[in-house]
Amino acid sequence: MYLPKFMIERPESPEEAATLLKVRKESRLVAGGTELFPRMKYGLCSPEFIISLKGSKISRPRVTPEGMLILDAKMSLTAINSSPEIQEKAPLLAMAAGRVATREIRNMGTLGGNLCQETRCLYFNQKHTFQFREPCFKRGGEQCYFIPKGNKCWAVFMSDLAPALFCLDASINIVGSGGVRQIEIHKLYTHDPLKPISLKADEIVTKIIIPKNEGTSGSGFAKFTMRGGMEFAGVNIGVFVETEKDLHTCKGARITVGAISGWPQRAPEAETFLEGKDLTDDIITAASRKITENMKIVPHHGYTKGYLTECLKSQAKTALTDATNAIIGAT
Amino acid sequence: MGDLDYVGKRILRKDGPEKVTGKAIYSVDIQLRGKLVGRILRSPHAHARILNIDTRRALQVPGVKSIITAKDTLGIKHGFVETPRYPADQYPLAMDKVRFVGEEVAAVAATDRYAADEALDLIEVEYEVLPAVFDPEEAMLSGAPEIHPTHPKVNEGLSNIGGKTTSVWGDVEAGFKEADYIREDRFESHLRTHGYLEPQATVASFESDGKLNVWTSSQGPFIKRAKLAKTLGLPQSSVRVKKAYVGGAFGGKIDLFSHEFCAALLSMKTSRPVEIIATREEIFTAYRHGQPLIVTVKTGVKKDGTIVAQQLKTINNSGAYRGSGVVVIFLAWGFTMAPYRVPNLKYDGYSVYTNNPIRTPQRGHGAPQLRFAVESQLDMIAEELGLDPMEIRLKNARESGEMLPNGDNVHNCGLKDCLLDIAKHTDFKNKFGSKQGKSGRFRKGIGVGVSSYFGGSLIYPNSSSVLVKMNDDGSVTLLTGAMDIGQGAETILSQIVAEELKIPMEEIQVVAADTETTPVDIGSWISGNAYVCGNAARVAAGDVREKLKALAARELEADTRDLVVKDKRVHVKGSPDRSLSYAHLVALSIQKHRGDPIIGNGHWRTMRDEPTHPSLASTKGRWTENYAFDAQTAEVEVDTETGKVKLLKAVTAHDCGFPINPMLVEGQIDGQISMALGHAFLEEVMMEEGRTLNPSWLDYRMPSIRDMANSEYIDIITEKYRIGKPYRTKEVGEGYVSAILAAIANAIYDAVGVRLFSTPFTPEKILRGLGKIK
Amino acid sequence: MSTNQKQLLELSINGESYELAVACQETLLEVLRNRLGLTGTKEGCGTGECGSCTVLLEGEPVLACLLLALDCENKQIETIEGQSLEGRMTPVQEAFLEKGAVQCGFCTPGMVMASTALLKRNPDPNEEDIMESLEGHLCRCTGYNKIMESVQHAAKSYPEKS
Repeated sequence: MYLPKFMIERPESPEEAATLLKVRKESRLVAGGTELFPRMKYGLCSPEFIISLKGSKISRPRVTPEGMLILDAKMSLTAINSSPEIQEKAPLLAMAAGRVATREIRNMGTLGGNLCQETRCLYFNQKHTFQFREPCFKRGGEQCYFIPKGNKCWAVFMSDLAPALFCLDASINIVGSGGVRQIEIHKLYTHDPLKPISLKADEIVTKIIIPKNEGTSGSGFAKFTMRGGMEFAGVNIGVFVETEKDLHTCKGARITVGAISGWPQRAPEAETFLEGKDLTDDIITAASRKITENMKIVPHHGYTKGYLTECLKSQAKTALTDATNAIIGAT
Repeated sequence: MGDLDYVGKRILRKDGPEKVTGKAIYSVDIQLRGKLVGRILRSPHAHARILNIDTRRALQVPGVKSIITAKDTLGIKHGFVETPRYPADQYPLAMDKVRFVGEEVAAVAATDRYAADEALDLIEVEYEVLPAVFDPEEAMLSGAPEIHPTHPKVNEGLSNIGGKTTSVWGDVEAGFKEADYIREDRFESHLRTHGYLEPQATVASFESDGKLNVWTSSQGPFIKRAKLAKTLGLPQSSVRVKKAYVGGAFGGKIDLFSHEFCAALLSMKTSRPVEIIATREEIFTAYRHGQPLIVTVKTGVKKDGTIVAQQLKTINNSGAYRGSGVVVIFLAWGFTMAPYRVPNLKYDGYSVYTNNPIRTPQRGHGAPQLRFAVESQLDMIAEELGLDPMEIRLKNARESGEMLPNGDNVHNCGLKDCLLDIAKHTDFKNKFGSKQGKSGRFRKGIGVGVSSYFGGSLIYPNSSSVLVKMNDDGSVTLLTGAMDIGQGAETILSQIVAEELKIPMEEIQVVAADTETTPVDIGSWISGNAYVCGNAARVAAGDVREKLKALAARELEADTRDLVVKDKRVHVKGSPDRSLSYAHLVALSIQKHRGDPIIGNGHWRTMRDEPTHPSLASTKGRWTENYAFDAQTAEVEVDTETGKVKLLKAVTAHDCGFPINPMLVEGQIDGQISMALGHAFLEEVMMEEGRTLNPSWLDYRMPSIRDMANSEYIDIITEKYRIGKPYRTKEVGEGYVSAILAAIANAIYDAVGVRLFSTPFTPEKILRGLGKIK
Repeated sequence: MSTNQKQLLELSINGESYELAVACQETLLEVLRNRLGLTGTKEGCGTGECGSCTVLLEGEPVLACLLLALDCENKQIETIEGQSLEGRMTPVQEAFLEKGAVQCGFCTPGMVMASTALLKRNPDPNEEDIMESLEGHLCRCTGYNKIMESVQHAAKSYPEKS
């Protein structure tokens, strides 16, 4: 497989990158290349210009005097996983980063790239030279191969980092040709599998800001794959739990599920259920079941809805148990 | 007698250093000046008539040097099987019809891939789409869309029959009447694929003197030469298939592929080398996959577990052409009748055309699918009768010297010992059915399976021959047509020669797998390298040894029977000082025998005195002298929350004859355990109306290092290697991917009481079996 | 640089300097294999899904099929060919041979490079560390058993950091 021809620009600043994205029609941003280049090799996009952030200086994680953690979106996944600052201040993110793909991909892929990845579907992520030639909705066409009688796109969003950042109440800094803005992470997602990322064509994510966490808390991240590594999730889940000083009464929980729909989903029923409760095994099991209530579960990549529902309960139990154990200090 | 110095030892691979330093050249690495890039145009339709192909616009693309379609070929068909009953049925490029999505319709050679792909897009093909059928049982119904006319010898009112195998012995009706207990079950196995890391790749270079040189990733160059020569209309002497290392094959690179033909023809037309490398996505969609088999088995037993009658029907989904479908239904019979005594047997196997890509052998070639069925059922029978799985198997297992219904003899069969040893080694009796480890979220279980495999039976080119050339200094050059596809062929042949001549491995140079310079070999897909080619090497080396001894006898005035070879010398037994070096003897031979430089010649053939291979259709006829048996246990852990199953440990007790290189044998076993667990839990080519949904490594989930299972081996040695004597050592390349699959199925039942009748054993099926998903 | 004209590039591979003109879309893998004849690094897919194309970039294992050659200037690149430059093999290579971890050999260069990087980073890896480093490397021949043994064996004989 080979890349189509293109021209390359190397902006020296995010502002310059934004300007180039605006000025060069048919341009795409690339940081790690692990997401865009395979898609280009599969013939799914063929930009005239690549605006490359490769080689730009990457700032180290920074903790502000107020205790916020500021991360450069160009940080590699390996760097996130092994960063002492992130392991201390936002372990959920470090955990999630360590579960992405393979070591080589983690060495190359970036935080920003992972958050802004395209939604995926078996019928979409392949070459269409002789199979499924008529374009589906996601390829600008008029049909869906996955749900043939359907009238919308069912591609799923499979990022592992997004659920983690949802749980951490993160915000992101965006630089565009019109200026800078900051939004809560969940506003990055449109809930439309056709175009899952809300950024305008000339905008780039520059920083991820994780607020200070005051109380007693623990996190857990669970990802179901058929094999250990290598894969996108069948379902993934991030959990961030805060307790009272007794270390077992839940003060609040943030739970986010990914890979089973076109955007990461919080689980408000389960979160409400856990508030004020003692984090026993039974409560955790009950919460795991509650997570599937009202959760939009889309079958994908060979997994059925029935299976994903059961699997989600299991992953939720694992993540909640890990979070609870982290608080108590047990391994 | 005397100790063995090389055979049976853990000798390091001869090609290891080249591979571990990146110097090994595979077909994908061949660089030739002026090489053109070739690409194939593939059909988007599962079934269609080709009305017209217009290449004019495509030919205008700068850099395009040639475009070929069926019109540019001689219209000669080829096929995996080419017999009077099953004649060749495939054109190298689709002639008037396409029968599967991805079928090859045209090929382009251009100076670069952009030009080639641009040209492909501009080739205009007019199709008349025809109704298609994808399921074999639907394709068999009368009235189904006709992919090919049903085989003229199968008069059952069925459509799309590519071939049928029938075998009857004894009287199954009478047998069932005598049975105390009868079960009938249906098992389905799914579509899996080889997953070789090196893509399909061919470089063809037609030289100005009319010689076609070809490098191609394959399992044996002689069959490629034969089929290329035939379809291109060239004499075999004009086609040279040269040696390149092979990055895995597992059955997927045996017979002629369209791209090989196209690379050659394009080279002939452009007078430039042409390289065609399939993309990974092409390999997953349009190339050959393994055979999914539907097996219906009815077995009658006595109260004590003795099998009295068995009736089987297999249906193979062979894809759009006959491929090796007619072979797998024959083999499925073989895999049924070999391990256990079945006094009354009726077998019917159907190979059915469907509008899917062609299927081909994949490691095990029917054995995994068949043993899964038979072994699962046997466990169910045992449970019903209150017997344990080992007991029932011991009752029915064949023994050394038993005659098989087809007239073959199993010779040195160690199956009973395999079962007894493995039961002891794994503490099977105590673990199977025990309550321990079966509560809580993760539940453990153990299961056993039995399989047999055969070695090197008759298939084109039907012969392996080896030449052993002495060099002046007493070192040796070994010429063999054998293809090392990773299994270590060159190494074990060197070990045999080293043993017969007592020459160090470093002083044996191997020249292999070149149709011009090396003698013929049966190919590395018939489990015959160790047995057939190995014996040929033994004979060739022995030939050299006897010539050396004869010379030495005269010089030393001794009897040849009193001479031994050691350290590249021939000496008198008991008087090591009375010796002559090989170097001296070679010079002597040249001097005294009018220039004879001492070249040893050896050849071997399975079933040496049988004129032909058994009938694929009736199974009549002798098949092989080399049956291998194994028993394997699987210890699994089932996660009752996610349904995921992990293979914790696999133990393989194999009647291997004797291992020529134990380290290589272990490697083969490990690899097969991995392939079996992939088959069991992870891998599935997902298809929908002839199209592949998951044509990538990411979504065709082959085992990674995290899925690695603990693998232990018990060698049941049933033979010794004796210098100068023929041996029957058994195959180790395919036989261990079958019983383990069955063992896994039985282990899952032991762990969680879920009996699965179809592969793969997905988490979903487990959870359904546990009632967690409705 | 807004042109698809080839650009002059200097690459440092295995300690040697190569100057060549490359187009924007040429990957490091293509340059290594097709332009420089360094065919030891393999293409098993070209889309980052098998690990066969693993090389070391500034000591870290990366996938050459997803790296633009132009992005590799001024960086130390190590390929399998550089592991045995003086004709001697590294402990990792010796271990792979001794333990029988090589069959068809196609995955071997990638496995060796990733293992080498692992041992430089962590001279005493446990089984989990090894799996984490090699989970992106597909092998169809060996079942990974002897590969695991090789890396463990190489770790024992790996020279201490000087």
